[in-house]
Amino acid sequence: MRDTFVETLITEAQRDPSVVLITGDLGFGVLEKFENALPNQYINAGVAEQAMLGLAAGMASTGKRVFVYSIGNFPTVRALEQIRNDVCYMNNPVVIVSVGAGYSYGSQGYTHHALEDIAVMRALPGMDVLTPADPFETVELTKYLVSSRKPSYLRLGRSGEKQLNSAPPTLKSGELNALLKGNDGSILFTGAIGALAMQASENLKSRGKSIGVYSVPFISSLSADALREIASLGPIVTIEEHSTRGGLGSAVLELLSINGIKADIRILGVSQHNLAEIGDQAFLRASNGLTVEKILSTFAL
Amino acid sequence: MRYLRPDLIDLPRNNKKKRVKRTLKNQSEIAQAATELAFQARQEILKMTSKAKASHVGSALSVIDILSVIYSGVANIDPRNMEKNDRDIVILSKGHAASAIYSILALKDFFSLQWLEDYCGNGAPLGGHVTSKGVPGVELSTGSLGHGLPYGLGIALSRKKSEIPGRVFVVMSDGECDEGTTWESALLANHHELDNLTVVIDRNGIQSLKETELTLRLEPFAQKWKSFGWDVHEIDGHDYQELARCLIQQSKPTVVIAKTTKGKGVSFMENSVLWHYRPPNDEELSRALTEVLDS
Repeated sequence: MRDTFVETLITEAQRDPSVVLITGDLGFGVLEKFENALPNQYINAGVAEQAMLGLAAGMASTGKRVFVYSIGNFPTVRALEQIRNDVCYMNNPVVIVSVGAGYSYGSQGYTHHALEDIAVMRALPGMDVLTPADPFETVELTKYLVSSRKPSYLRLGRSGEKQLNSAPPTLKSGELNALLKGNDGSILFTGAIGALAMQASENLKSRGKSIGVYSVPFISSLSADALREIASLGPIVTIEEHSTRGGLGSAVLELLSINGIKADIRILGVSQHNLAEIGDQAFLRASNGLTVEKILSTFAL
Repeated sequence: MRYLRPDLIDLPRNNKKKRVKRTLKNQSEIAQAATELAFQARQEILKMTSKAKASHVGSALSVIDILSVIYSGVANIDPRNMEKNDRDIVILSKGHAASAIYSILALKDFFSLQWLEDYCGNGAPLGGHVTSKGVPGVELSTGSLGHGLPYGLGIALSRKKSEIPGRVFVVMSDGECDEGTTWESALLANHHELDNLTVVIDRNGIQSLKETELTLRLEPFAQKWKSFGWDVHEIDGHDYQELARCLIQQSKPTVVIAKTTKGKGVSFMENSVLWHYRPPNDEELSRALTEVLDS
């Protein structure tokens, strides 16, 4: 995803000289292409995330389309008040890009796990929170962000994510992206964890159940209309590589509640942090219940 | 609504006010205009904080001479050029001195003086920390410390990359230099050779609870900035001539350490932590205004 993001941004930045990429001294082997192609549109702010976000907001206030790039918690939680005050309060169109969604940096430890970022960013006023499911969606969302002119957060995986869409999708703010249609229920997911949702749906199909699978790339702008339709089809399961407190599942529950939509719904995610656990992404997903089996057993409830 | 002592309060506001053109560049002319502007603004600050029962009168009186000089012809900024992308930018990073910048902006016709009378009022435009929302002339909403410098630095860097002229002035408190972002920015400004960025530090030596040197030692302060590669001026922050001299030109990232007195101009407020929080009551307001008018 991160390579796809950078390649797309280079193309957009060559067309639009107002695009600036700022890194917090991360992106080895990833950002060099951008720096070499567009040195005047690239800044390494050093390991100074708080000043970096203030600086980004200041640049954005002059009309620049600023993308800030770093790992998981560093450009988000570390610089939260700069995002809150200098970006959101001032309504400066800074795009914060984090790589390493969920357990992407697995064995690097909890400092590098992004498990609360959606919750934190989603709570900020005017913040557009976006999570692509695969490289195809990454391209579309990157293009969208160059022109959207809103405070935004783009949550990327790391590398090697498989395509879940069969072709480049058309994504619209607030709408779900249907990967599989189904009549007996739905799985909503955000990010690369969608691979598990697809497997679960295949599995359920062999048991005679038709379960739709929907990517939710636009978390904060998700519309009630999109949910109303699938709520009428049958049970909903949401899954995300993120805490169950404040993420996709919470966003869906809030929308259902606020809009009085009745639904049979379960939310899956990291419900309890195990801070002592070491392991790679697959291991940590499995030990935190982010598995195909868990989705299947949840539907069987 | 009217002030409590109209005999004192209404006396000097309009009949002594002089229009000051922003095109003044001569040091003496700036200093002269700043003297008058600060004289007016001090009275507004006292009236605003008293009426609103608001905090931070000491902080506002400390920084008002600095702001008066910047707005008396140092910075190319006026109500008519706010949409121009090469205007000078002034950011008051110590957002708790809101009454100071609001007084200046009103006196310089960015908005009506009437707004000052409802400072901190329910549904009013002006609150206790600086906001840019609906307030002409304010470039950045501040109130949490350590935000103004990185933001101003971003504007300066953006302009340098796009070869757009115009200087950026960031006015900070000394207590604000406890913040890590101050020193992150000090590194960044030097690294990017931002010769369009000037910081003025209101060095009154007192922060929220105590003296800065008893809280988190800043000295040797000038030496710190020098070692970060900045041009450093250490001056009397109530000397209009000196402020104007140091602020009218620069060739590097520049910091003016303006030595000031918290509560300057009102004897019983000077150098006292109490007046970081306490608003003047009617009797204190009256005494304070008398002192300012007699100065």
